[in-house]
Amino acid sequence: MLDIREAITAVLARDPSALTVTTCGYITRDVYNIADRARNFYLVGSMGMAGPIGLGIALADPDRRVVVFDGDGSFAMNLGCLPMIAEHRPDLVHVVLDNGAHESTGGQRTAALGDPVALALAAGYAAAHRVETLDELATLDLTRTPALVHVPCRPRDHAAGRRVALTPQELVSRFRTEIGVSVTADTGVAADTPVPADSPVPADNRVPAGAERRNA
Amino acid sequence: MRTFLDQGYTHFTGVPCSLLKGMFRILDAPDFPGRYLPAPREDTAVGVASGLTLAGKKSLVLMQNSGLGYSLNVLTSFTLIYDVHLPLVVSWRGHDGNDAVEHDVIGRELTSLLDVFDLPWTVLDNRAPERSAEEFLGLHDGGRRTAVLIVKEGV
Repeated sequence: MLDIREAITAVLARDPSALTVTTCGYITRDVYNIADRARNFYLVGSMGMAGPIGLGIALADPDRRVVVFDGDGSFAMNLGCLPMIAEHRPDLVHVVLDNGAHESTGGQRTAALGDPVALALAAGYAAAHRVETLDELATLDLTRTPALVHVPCRPRDHAAGRRVALTPQELVSRFRTEIGVSVTADTGVAADTPVPADSPVPADNRVPAGAERRNA
Repeated sequence: MRTFLDQGYTHFTGVPCSLLKGMFRILDAPDFPGRYLPAPREDTAVGVASGLTLAGKKSLVLMQNSGLGYSLNVLTSFTLIYDVHLPLVVSWRGHDGNDAVEHDVIGRELTSLLDVFDLPWTVLDNRAPERSAEEFLGLHDGGRRTAVLIVKEGV
């Protein structure tokens, strides 16, 4: 079985321009530590929401490919979103990194998952693949989407990498800048809220403490 | 609905409620100029609308108040910490304690729940829906707050 970091690296290498959404916990931390980029959008919570959020991003601009990194636990948490994703035919590649465990919470075994490939096809995905080697991952035909890629991985033998140092608001701001979304009140999209000069908490200390505490 | 379209809302998602069936009828009409994305569950609707909003598309979520329970995790661990705010239209089954029993508890506690999470809300005035919609979008404050329009009487 593949090393989870090698699998992530191979997926990112095939679609370097794709926008990427990562599920909370160690997968966010792995992707952040392998290749932090403005077009990566990391979830620090909201387990089960990487697929729906990826769908929304993909529908906002059909010309952009979105790669969603789910784990087996987060995928199992929201199988209900699969037919909705399938219905709208987004250019979305849904990668399920399956190590059979909730590693971020101590390695407990996950609930029964069934066969993700069969689930995706039954939900209406245009394609679904089980991939066991890096060569297959590199050469897989991902032209028909939405596509699911089920990657059995071995449990991590590496320490979890650093937590995301950016605040959630900073992740939003740099992602929007990367995809050219203006942040004005006129668009209904939240503008950055500057820290007032007289804020009792220095801007540098604002969120990392909380983020450290919150991130799994 | 006209107010939302006039204000640039293009994407609509959610799960129906009998109190909102008039709005869902508009969403489902063939000539509706926006895009309606039916969701299997309310938290997934919030997730999809969050992705759209993050990527610059103004999106509205509609749900029954029972769906607020499902949505609390995504609201507290995404919406309110990333500041990607949404306008939510939420029906109020059980508001008078005289509805089907499954609505009793959430109906009794709806506004307390919204207050606990500091979500500003207003109740739709069915005689002046445009004014209520504008007030609601005012609470949304150009994307700075997750505001709730409570629908108590059927629309």
